[in-house]
Amino acid sequence: MASLIGSFALVFGLCLSIFIIFFSIKNFKDNNILDKKVVSLTFLQFFFVLISFFGLIISFVNSDFSNETVFNHSHTTIPIFYKISGAWGNHEGSLLLWLLVLTLFLFLFISTSKKQAKQYRILTLLFQQIIIIGFFIFLIKTSNPFNYIFPVPNEGLGLNPILQDPALAIHPPILYLGYVGSSIIFSSALSAASLSYISKGWAKHIKQWVLISWIFLTLGILLGSIWAYYELGWGGFWFWDPVENVSLMPWLALTTLLHCILVLEKRLALTSWVVILSIATFALSMCGTFLVRSGILNSIHTFANDPERGLFILIFLFILIFLSIAVFFFFHKNENQNIKNLFWLSKETSILVNNWFMMYFLSVVLIGTIYPIFLEVFSSEKISVGPPFYHSLIIPFLIPFLIAMAFAPRLKWIKSKIEDKIQMIIFFVISFFISLLIVKNFDIDFLLNTILITSAFYLFFITLKDFFSKRIGNLAQNLAHFGFSLLILSILFNNIFSKEVITNLKIGETFISEDFKINFENVDKKNEKNFKAIIGKFNIENIDGNIEVLNPELRIYNQPNIITSEADIKTNLLTDKFITMNVVQNQDYFNVRYQVKPFMIWIWISVILISFGGLISILKKKYEN
Amino acid sequence: MKVLKYIIIVLMILNPNLSIAQSENLQNKITKNLRCLICQGQSVYDSDSQFANSLKVLVEQKLSDGLSEKQIYNYLKDRYGEWILYDTEFNKNTYFLWLLPILMFIIGGAIIFKLFILKKN
Repeated sequence: MASLIGSFALVFGLCLSIFIIFFSIKNFKDNNILDKKVVSLTFLQFFFVLISFFGLIISFVNSDFSNETVFNHSHTTIPIFYKISGAWGNHEGSLLLWLLVLTLFLFLFISTSKKQAKQYRILTLLFQQIIIIGFFIFLIKTSNPFNYIFPVPNEGLGLNPILQDPALAIHPPILYLGYVGSSIIFSSALSAASLSYISKGWAKHIKQWVLISWIFLTLGILLGSIWAYYELGWGGFWFWDPVENVSLMPWLALTTLLHCILVLEKRLALTSWVVILSIATFALSMCGTFLVRSGILNSIHTFANDPERGLFILIFLFILIFLSIAVFFFFHKNENQNIKNLFWLSKETSILVNNWFMMYFLSVVLIGTIYPIFLEVFSSEKISVGPPFYHSLIIPFLIPFLIAMAFAPRLKWIKSKIEDKIQMIIFFVISFFISLLIVKNFDIDFLLNTILITSAFYLFFITLKDFFSKRIGNLAQNLAHFGFSLLILSILFNNIFSKEVITNLKIGETFISEDFKINFENVDKKNEKNFKAIIGKFNIENIDGNIEVLNPELRIYNQPNIITSEADIKTNLLTDKFITMNVVQNQDYFNVRYQVKPFMIWIWISVILISFGGLISILKKKYEN
Repeated sequence: MKVLKYIIIVLMILNPNLSIAQSENLQNKITKNLRCLICQGQSVYDSDSQFANSLKVLVEQKLSDGLSEKQIYNYLKDRYGEWILYDTEFNKNTYFLWLLPILMFIIGGAIIFKLFILKKN
């Protein structure tokens, strides 16, 4: 029943698009007030998609296996929380979620943009409707979440155990809020470009949307990383895997846009560049969806390998890109070019430099991700592009980038000079000696690490000092830059100071190293509704005699029948202690992996700080208004 | 850098354990650069699959046979193809991969530079 309602609601939602387009075109020229009908229809469309989405969730909650999506991705024994999150833990459901957010954001856009010109609002709505219609058709035609199976199966196939996790339950919705937010930026930029509506006021208005998408995208990526850290069992949080990269690319583009739009807001320059970046951000979000959904990339995110779906998204993507290029070249007039009076030491220049580096990082990630695909198509040779590629191309460029991040915010618009030169040099020298002290104790690449840590510390100290001194102009920016320095430092220290032991242990055995003893005391069994667990009890004795107990688990899920290894992590402010155990076939010992990972929690905290910077920026705008 | 090298050499002579630790480090470094072919985006080092475990043993064996890091990569490349190496090589297949981002950086720099030249004229 719920499925049936959901299915009809989808079709109604699609039909509403026709009405919305009809009324908005009619309304486009006739008077200066936005037709109330358009607003209510937009809400109605959102409402129908919401009903459809609830229909799917209810089908999942009731384990209604006459619905194919439910049958494929649920089971009666799964806890209710994961039944609900299972609704978007699959291809069909996740696209329905995309559509839900699309319609929600359009409604929010229309109802919050009352101060903007009517024609601009309507044109944005029309562009947005093109995207919405595309997704409706994609959903109904190639990935309908409400397909019916007859005869009705008694039991479902179950949800992939590694998706049964709280972080992963909220990771897709948060990430999608970011992805889809970029569609509003895209439509709005196209519409503003074709109506010559780009102004300081427009920049101010669209900046809110940029910030909102950026915050969600940042948090979405963070959640994915945290999940990978504790769930995949190897203690890493970023592997430059293609699916990670496709979420990083829109983030890089959006971060560039966030900086670039400041120049537009204050100086009314770089208009074309803002439009291009808006198009690029959305194209990269769509590209990500295409690459992930098409099955080209081999990963956990590939729910189903259906070439028809990939082809549809690819065609849709090309239409959108073609449309935006056409709009850009035929309608966009580049009138205001007061970038000519650019002084080399000014905020504008520093933002240009930021954009330059960000675009470089983006091109590294983009080329690294798609090059192997193209190579395989054209020469049928398969290569891997792994962490060493990204590290060697990104890390050296990070050094000037970090230093620029430290002093650029101190520059003024139009023309500036460097103040407090001596102070800046002193900070640099201090940073240098601190990193020298840290690096010299370790057998690592000396020169690169010293310079890198120096520049990260430099940014750290400068932002910290700006925070406490009275001259702080922009708290949001200060916090975000500080967060970034903390992120880089935590990642570096995490890399340098991490210790790891991989060993085979029988129950009762003890592994002894210089710094700690690992005693495998016993195993315990636990029966849950949807899995059986073997829980190991490990006593870790540190060098100071402190004993900690860690309990990693092996879970044998019944539906589908998969064994997963659950890490046990003891977190404190300085280090994480991370342990996993694995079965070794036909042996009576377990493979145990124990890691001491310093500053792990600071990686998460710093990303939260960065997004908090974005939040402050939004709130400040609200306050000013 | 040179000083550091000498220190390491002296330490190695004084402490035989260090050379064992070094070869273990090398083994870790190599296995971190190898793709676990049956896993999804994991290195041999990070994985506990049968394939990864057998490769770990293989690398250890080859190291004790006295093969260098490079020789081991070449050996595995012949057997499994370039797909197994995470550390992408610089060869005729990958010129564009390595040089295109650098080219983008140069172009970006040129565009910004041009803005300043324009200003003067």
